[in-house]
Parts: sequence; structure tokens; C-alpha cells
Amino acid sequence: MGDILLIEDEPAMADFIVRSLTKEGHHVDYVATGDAGLDRALKFNYGLLIVDRMLPGTDGLSLVKVLRERQVRVPVLFLSNLGELDDRILGLNAGGDDYLPKPFAFVELLARVNALLRRRVQTAEQIVLQLGDLEMHLVKREVRRQGREIDLKPREFTLLEYMLRHANQVVTRTMLLEGVWGYHFDPKTNIVETHISRLRAKIGADMVDTVRGSGYIIHAARSNG
Amino acid sequence: MRLAQTVRSAAFRLTAAYVLLFTVSVGLLAALTYFLVVSRLDLEFRNHIRADTHTLSAEFAAGGPKQLLRAISERQHNRTAGGLYYSVLDSNGLALTGTAERHSCEAGWFEVVGPPDGDEPSGEMERLAVFATPLRQGYCLMVGDDYGKVRGVGTLVLRTFGWVILITLTLAVAGGLLLSSRFLKRIDIINRTAEAIIEGDIRQRIPRRAAPDDLDRLAATLNRMLDRTNDLMDSLRHVTSDIAHDLRTPLGRLRNQLEDAKAHAGTPEEFRAAAEEAIAEVDGLLSTFSAILRIAQIEGGSRRAGFKAFSLSRLVEDVCESFADAVEEASKRLTAEVAPNLAVNGDQELLVQALVNLIENAIAYTPQGSVIAVGLQRCEGRICLSVADNGPGVPETDLERIFQRFVRLEPSRSTAGNGLGLSIVAAVAELHGGAARASDNHPGLRIALTLPAA
Repeated sequence: MGDILLIEDEPAMADFIVRSLTKEGHHVDYVATGDAGLDRALKFNYGLLIVDRMLPGTDGLSLVKVLRERQVRVPVLFLSNLGELDDRILGLNAGGDDYLPKPFAFVELLARVNALLRRRVQTAEQIVLQLGDLEMHLVKREVRRQGREIDLKPREFTLLEYMLRHANQVVTRTMLLEGVWGYHFDPKTNIVETHISRLRAKIGADMVDTVRGSGYIIHAARSNG
Repeated sequence: MRLAQTVRSAAFRLTAAYVLLFTVSVGLLAALTYFLVVSRLDLEFRNHIRADTHTLSAEFAAGGPKQLLRAISERQHNRTAGGLYYSVLDSNGLALTGTAERHSCEAGWFEVVGPPDGDEPSGEMERLAVFATPLRQGYCLMVGDDYGKVRGVGTLVLRTFGWVILITLTLAVAGGLLLSSRFLKRIDIINRTAEAIIEGDIRQRIPRRAAPDDLDRLAATLNRMLDRTNDLMDSLRHVTSDIAHDLRTPLGRLRNQLEDAKAHAGTPEEFRAAAEEAIAEVDGLLSTFSAILRIAQIEGGSRRAGFKAFSLSRLVEDVCESFADAVEEASKRLTAEVAPNLAVNGDQELLVQALVNLIENAIAYTPQGSVIAVGLQRCEGRICLSVADNGPGVPETDLERIFQRFVRLEPSRSTAGNGLGLSIVAAVAELHGGAARASDNHPGLRIALTLPAA
């Protein structure tokens, strides 16, 4: 559990990813071709696959399609040089779980890797999300902290839901833009920041931290614990 | 060479086909006319002889051979019967009148060949058609006429048609040659123009004629196509040099920063700061690249395949709600006037980006305290999405230019941005079959997208 298989044909990129993820405490296996990658992914039980879309031999898309046909449910993060509109949709349709265009900032990769590794543990359908003394009822669309109801606008509600689903891990600005707004481009205006600060003001500043240069993290308030 | 080319030309072949068709139909008409005329004449010819035979037989029945001969000599004298030939033979086969020699007298038609009398084709004998009728007491009455009359009319019909066909053929072939050679000459001109363009003289155009016909319209269309190609090539050249130009500046800055860090940074903190600066510079370059790629992708049109109908009203409200706080933080105000339930058929993601780019453009180029007004309403059967501000605006002469790639109006280029935001807006509008227009908001800038309603 927790082992990552990287399938990437570009040696410099592969080296960078393996080194950086290893430094963060992950164990990474690395192969350079799609065929070798498919072989390993079928033989061993990985926690996550990082797959380059363009590979010699079996390309990334076909590889993941084959895995899904054989009922291998391992989370897949696609990497791509193309990184543009249609490619993301193709990748996700082929059975990928997330998509990161190259070049990327390492913090972005790390946050997504952690999110995908964690997601495996998460149970599918939850009605109530809880973190410390904060409680979110997804059906009634109610948020309470210490029993006191907090009034959130729809977008703030979605934002908090996304953060609670990734509680105690760093979520990047790009992840929030994609997950909460559905924006797959980078607006110059920091709408994430303004929404986070409003959310902070409503649920309490002690739960949401800014991780400089990376993103945001939500956790149970420490003072009350 | 020239003739062979003419014969191979489409115009000539068309003419030849028509000539052939015409000849065949005239031939058919000739045959039909000949048949009808000759058979009709033949019938009348024979009826005439039969009728006279009938009358003479009656004379014989009434008064015997004497009265018959008298009636015949009267006819010959008066030419009343139209110049028929008569012969009467007695039971011994001797001719009582006429020149016929015949020993049997079976009722019916037979042919007699006689010396030519002038109305037959030269070298041919006169042909008589004779009708024989046996009478009582062994007499035999024969009435005949020159069959050449019938044949002559038939020949005349055929000859007339022959001339008609000959003259028509001559005219048609001559006309076909003339027409196709004129046609070829103009094709040749188009060909030569095209070849000159292939050779590299891309400013060449096909000369037009005063009278607009098919070929002239074709020439006009080809010229317009060439203009369009030329424009595209021009814009491609511009874009290439603009990209090179616009990337050189940040790359130069990046190089200076790295050089500076290498020479002067001493502590790890200083190196880290330099690296962060460099990363920021590279991120800027990457975002320019990504914008260029995105424009290319949008202009490629492949996104059209994924178009869906959706509520643009909701999208606009959504974006405005998301940006309201950010705009306020920049000490400006965002207002939204959105007509409900306006749907378009399109790409949500791209329309979001277009609207965000417009709002961010307004944020970047207006002073504090400005109002940015987003509007969505029906206009003239289409849907108008507009973003207007009350900032300093854009000079009238530059209104069209702001959608071009890498165009930033302030010469200092102090404001962050790659000059591609509005190009993306224009490309998105065009992808949706609409257009982006900039106008004076008195004061300020107003940019409106007109989109077809779903």
C-alpha cells in the first residue's frame, strides 16, 4: 500500500519525479515504456499510477483502458506535455482519475499524489462530513460548528466540502479551481484566496491554514483538541 | 498542339456531344419525314390509277371496247387524267392502244422499265408502275404512271435534310472551336496566374472581365481565396515574429537574474530568492505559451464537436458571484445585469474563460473606484454578453486592434499580462459563430460578444 508506479519515458522528468517523491517519503517504482508499465501494474498491487500520456509502445491512454477493462481500480494520475483542453477530457474518459499538464510545480504533483493515495481509503457515499467540531450535512446542506449553524453561500459550501474531503492534506489553488469552480485555466485574479478568506471568517480562522507556495490545508482546531 | 488542346477541352467536347445529338435527331426526323411523304404519295399515286381504271372499266361495261378506246383517246387528248399511260390488249394480246406488250392479263401491279423521259436521275431508265385489269371477252386494260414522281419527291426530302445536316455540322464545329478556344484562352490566363503564384509572386491575381459570367465569377472567387490565404500568411508571419519578440524580453530578464544570482548571491537565502524569481519568470513564459497553444486549439475548431446547450445566464451569474469579492479587493465594483434563461450552444469552459478574461482586462486597465458592468441580454435575435467599464477607455483608432495577438496598448507594458487575453476572447466568440466588438462606453471601454442563441 502506498507504493507508486511511475510510467514516464523522459529520463530527466522521471528522475525529477522519483527523487522528489522519494524525498517526501513515497516509494516509487519507475519504468520507461507502456508495455513494461502495463506488465507491472497487472502483476503488483500499487497504490497509485503516474502515467505519461505519450509513451513508446503502448501509450498511456490505451494502457489505462486495458487496466480498467481488467477491473484494475488503482488510481491513475495522467501527465501530459500537451496539457490542453481536449487531452484532459480524453485522459479522464480513458479511466484516469486526475490530470496534470507538464510542466508543473512539484507541490502541485505532490498534493495530487497525496489526494489520490488518500482517496482510496475514503468510503464512497458519505452524508455527513466531520472534522473536529465542524459538521457538514451534505443532504440538508447544513454546516455547524460546535452546534452553531453557519450560513454559507453555495460556492462556499462546495469549497468547504472539497476541503473536508481532503482534510489534513494540502490542496493547491489549481486543485480548488478545478474541483470547486471547474476552471481549467489560470485566472490572474485570485478568486480562491478571496473565497478562502471569506470561508475562514465564517467557520473560524483556526481551521484553515495557508501553506506558503503550495496551497491551503484544513484541520481540526488545535486549541479545542 | 493548340488544336489538340482545343479538341481535348471540355467546351469542345460538350459542343461535339451536342452536334452528335443534333445530327442523330435530324437524321431521325429525315427518316420519318421521308417515310411519311413517300408512303402518302405512293398511296395517292396508286389510288389515282385505281380510280381511273374503275371509270374505264365502267365505260367498257357500258359500250364495249369501242367506248373504252374513245374514252382513252379523249383522256390522252385532253390530258384530263394527269398524263397517265394507257394500254388495251385484245384477247390475242395485241395492243389496241398503247405500247404495252403482254401475253397474260393477271389483275394487279407490275413494273415496266422504259426509255428515260428526263425526270429520272441520269443514267436510269424510266420506271412505270402499271395496274392491269382483265375485262370481259379477253380484253385487258392497263393503266400506268411514271413512278419516278414519287421517288423524286423522296429524294428531294432526303437531299434537303442532307444539306441541313451538313450546314449545321459546319456551323456547330466552327462555333465549338471558336467558343472553346476563347474558353481555353481564359483558362490559360488562370493557369498562368496560378503558376506565377506557385513560382513565388503571391501578389498575382487573375484579371477580371467587364462582363460577369461563370468564369469571371470563378476568377473573383479564386482571387478572394488568394486574398484570404495571403491574410492568413501575413498574420502567421506577424504572430511568429510577435512570439519571438514577446518571449525575448522575459527570457532576457531571466538570463540577467540568473547571471546576477551567480555573480552576487552568497547565502542560501539569496540563492533561494533568486530561484523563486526565476521560477516566477518561467511561469509567466509558460502561461504565455499555454495561451498561444489554447488560441491555436480554439481556432482549430475541434472543440465544436463537444458543444452542448446550456444556460449562459447561470454561467455569467456564477462567474460574477465568484469574482465580486476579488474585484472589490482591487477597490473596484462589479455589477451584473443578467437576463434569465438565456441559453447558448457551446463550450462552457471556454465561455467562462472568455468572460473571466474580459473581467480581468477591465480590472487591470481601470483606476480604483471604477465600475465594471457585466451584462447579458437578447439583442436582435442573438445573445449579447458585454463587459463595460468607466475607466480611461481605448482610443477610437485602437478599438479593432485590441483583439490582435500580443497587442498591449500602453507602450511601457508595465501592467502584467501577455496581450493574449482578448485574443482568446475573440477566438472563443468566433468558435461559437459569434463576434467580439469593442466600443466606446463614454467613458470607458465596452466589449460585447454576440453569440447565436441555442
